[in-house]
Amino acid sequence: MKKNSVNVVLLISVLLISIFGIIMIYSASYVWAEYKFNNPFKFVINQGVFFIIGVVFMMIISHIDYKVYYEKSNLFFIICLILLILVIIPGIGSVRNGSRSWFGIGSFGIQPSEFTKLSLIIFTSKYLVNNERIIGNFFKGVLPILGILFLVFGLIMLQPDFGTGMIIVMSIIGLLFIGGVDFKFFLKLGIVGLFGIVGLIVVAPYRLKRIISFINPWSDPLGAGFQIIQSLYAIGPGGLFGYGFLNSRQKHFYLPEPQTDFIFSIISEEFGFMGILIVSILFLTIIYTGFKISRSSNNLFGKYLAFGITFQIAFQAILNLMVVVGLIPVTGVTLPFLSYGGSSLLITLCSIGILLNISRSQK
Amino acid sequence: MKDQFSLFFIIISYNFVGDIVFFKGIHTRIKIILLVVVFLFLLIIGKVFYIQVISYKKLNGYASSLWSRNLPIEANRGIIYDVNGVVLADNITTTSLVLIPNQIKDKESTARSLASILGVTYEDMYKHVSKRTSIERVHPEGRRLSYEIADKINDLKLPGVYLIKEAKRYYPNDTMLAHTIGFVGIDNQGLAGLELIYDKYLTGSYGAIKYFSDAKGNRLELSEIYEQPQNGVNMTLTINYDIQASMERELDNVVSKYNPDGAWGIAMNPNTGEILAIASRPSFSPSNYSNYSTEEINRNLPIWMTYEPGSTFKIVTLSASVNEGIVDLNNDHFYDGGAVTVEGATLHCWKHGGHGDQTYLQVVENSCNPGFVNLGLKLGKEKLFDYINKFGFGSKTGVDLNGESNGIIFNLDRVGPVELATTAFGQGVSVTPIQQITAVSAAINGGILYKPYIVKSLNEPETNSVVLENKPSVVHQVITRESSDIVKYALESVVQNGTGRNAFIDGYRVGGKTGTAQKVKDGHYMVGNYITSFIGFLPADDPQVIVYVAVDNAKGVSQYGGTVAAPIARNILVDSISALDIKKRDNAGEKNYKTGEKHYKEIPNVVGMNVNDAKNLLKGFSIEFSGSGSTISYQSPKAGEKILEEDVIRLYLEDE
Repeated sequence: MKKNSVNVVLLISVLLISIFGIIMIYSASYVWAEYKFNNPFKFVINQGVFFIIGVVFMMIISHIDYKVYYEKSNLFFIICLILLILVIIPGIGSVRNGSRSWFGIGSFGIQPSEFTKLSLIIFTSKYLVNNERIIGNFFKGVLPILGILFLVFGLIMLQPDFGTGMIIVMSIIGLLFIGGVDFKFFLKLGIVGLFGIVGLIVVAPYRLKRIISFINPWSDPLGAGFQIIQSLYAIGPGGLFGYGFLNSRQKHFYLPEPQTDFIFSIISEEFGFMGILIVSILFLTIIYTGFKISRSSNNLFGKYLAFGITFQIAFQAILNLMVVVGLIPVTGVTLPFLSYGGSSLLITLCSIGILLNISRSQK
Repeated sequence: MKDQFSLFFIIISYNFVGDIVFFKGIHTRIKIILLVVVFLFLLIIGKVFYIQVISYKKLNGYASSLWSRNLPIEANRGIIYDVNGVVLADNITTTSLVLIPNQIKDKESTARSLASILGVTYEDMYKHVSKRTSIERVHPEGRRLSYEIADKINDLKLPGVYLIKEAKRYYPNDTMLAHTIGFVGIDNQGLAGLELIYDKYLTGSYGAIKYFSDAKGNRLELSEIYEQPQNGVNMTLTINYDIQASMERELDNVVSKYNPDGAWGIAMNPNTGEILAIASRPSFSPSNYSNYSTEEINRNLPIWMTYEPGSTFKIVTLSASVNEGIVDLNNDHFYDGGAVTVEGATLHCWKHGGHGDQTYLQVVENSCNPGFVNLGLKLGKEKLFDYINKFGFGSKTGVDLNGESNGIIFNLDRVGPVELATTAFGQGVSVTPIQQITAVSAAINGGILYKPYIVKSLNEPETNSVVLENKPSVVHQVITRESSDIVKYALESVVQNGTGRNAFIDGYRVGGKTGTAQKVKDGHYMVGNYITSFIGFLPADDPQVIVYVAVDNAKGVSQYGGTVAAPIARNILVDSISALDIKKRDNAGEKNYKTGEKHYKEIPNVVGMNVNDAKNLLKGFSIEFSGSGSTISYQSPKAGEKILEEDVIRLYLEDE
């Protein structure tokens, strides 16, 4: 790959999947949009505006040397922390869907937790570069960054936004894994997590019921199983080629807010198994390219940053998809590029801009 | 999937040639994570594949029922036919109102207009249109609407207001076979008779117009699916419409003529047990069943009524005696002095002074009680009661109808000579009409007792394929074929020479037996209150049809089976001749006339004529008119028959 040329595969995959997302947001949302706002184009216009802004940002950022984030890492991070604190203060942050995660600007909303996702990756990448020699030591190397991670996680859980919190924790743990933290650490973390889950079930047996209702959603079809059943009703009848564009039935008030967390169900309903395959290939291409950029970078910071960004997108996508197809309980995570959400799309496109710049900077 | 796999292999075979050693650890770990990511994506794709292929059917079914709303369409009930395909119970289509409250935007005005059309209060109608349900019916005001009302509602074109087809049971012959066929309720559910017994076959399954709806109940612009209702299974009875119509008509006549407490009849094919006709008076109109008392509706007298059979029961004693070889009808003689004394009890013959010296054939012809007492005593109680049991008395015949009685036969331990003697001529036992006709059928058909039945078959409405078919069912052999031939011969001479003369039909060999039984109330015989009956069959040498008729307490007539019931049975037998296409017999015996009896005259045809022409043509005969109008629609007996001049010709009138 020649120096200073853009990574075409990544750029085209990202543009394709985002445009497909906008089309699907229209299809999934016009019924609700018309019902709630008397304007079937409400969601698709919002998303379109963010997409254009996002693409412009992406192209600009792809020309900004990524090493600048190394310099400004602490600044970004502190700004994000302040925003996270501000947003949970009633009167400043506004509540949507039960979480105080938004700064409302007109009809647009901005989620500081979305920015935090990126800023914490930058911060951790720098941390790993600076503490390369002591990262093998749990107390000196790992514990400080874990402390910062749990501070951020705690702030996000105050909103509360469990899904975003989990993505942040997992993408940082992914980075630590890459950065050479001892395997035993992850083993211990897994055991602690397992005991934690068992403990939580022993303390409150209703959690077991929720897990059972996830395994068999029909045991509680109007409660815990509702969303997953509605999602399966969309995926199941889709078949190989689906009902065709705009012909979803579940979006007619059966599936709540089909343009956000469950957009994958609507894609499956309208385009069938083939649609799912194409979306998965696009995601895998983006992830594969992102990892390749990470591997190809000869700068350690660039390596960590590229991996962190890619891994975060991959983890979020997998988390969303596993919920939608009923592999794990509902967590409330959106699908990158495809789900409705301005801040999320904007930040994701900016992250891709960084990736493009890392790719561009390779020898 | 294939693309995924090839991508997967490209990834795992990826080569890190040229990487700096320092980064090796990082790159290995990235590779591990990439493999995990790819694995998870394959898991997700696999799960989607599983959902869309393996559980497709289940989910699609659930989802369809979630999306679709059904406007039910009622299926037709199975049609009930006679043996020749004449419709006995049919369906007519009506419309009913169905509301889908979610689609009714303007509830007030919809409720107001519907309330005024249907004559319901506004408040009630408002409750219906605003009910939180997917489909609401207005019961009963909105059911089975007349065309005018349905038209009015249709003209309003109100959203969410639908008119759907409903089938309603229709009995074209009204009271005909009312007890046997039964009737249905408002929801077309069988409530009585065959409608009840075979309800699960006759009831079809609902069809529907399925339309797709969103979760708020609004209609989606997707094409409707029409699911055809599955009509009920059709039923063919063994009933012969012509014989049934004849029996109904004759019973109506006997009711208007003698005003009896009740009247009933059964016609049967003696060789199979197939019921050709069955009727009961009083009857009822099945479409207005609620206007009648439960006794009138529930008592299907031919199978429910139990009473002393009287002389028709002598056929059992006769058959037993012949079969046991204890009597030679032509050569053995009996002297009837008018009474016989058994253990101090004096049993009188019905004829004052007795019949004098007779052959046993004459005993049968004269229905001489002391003669039968003698036969009974000769048989002994074990043998006689054994035959009674074998002929099926004392237990249900098992006919496929509801409400059959057992009848009562003496317990053998309690049978003394008096009980034996009275049983021999048909007193002191209690039997049902169906038992009698079934038993006599066995006596004349070669000795085989059949289980009577009325449902011939059930057939799928579309394909006509058989769902259920009843075949003649032999219970057992009661008497030998030879004995049966002798019984037939004896019963034929009853009609030729004896008490059954009123059942004689010119050109046909008819066999039969009269019965006149005093009714019992509170353990005592009632004075002047009889059940008069006649059982007759033809042709006597090869019986094709057997008819039993009984009239309960006929008024204004001498109550003998020969005078009241025999002419009715004869008319039904005459109509059976044409209904079953039974050929005349060359060897038919001549009726033996008593001194002073007039000879028979052939009747001309008057059907289609007006009343005056008919009167002129039939001068010399006595005529009775039924119905109203100016034209003769039917005559009984038919043209070409020979009758006595004093016999009555009945003419049925109708308007042109």
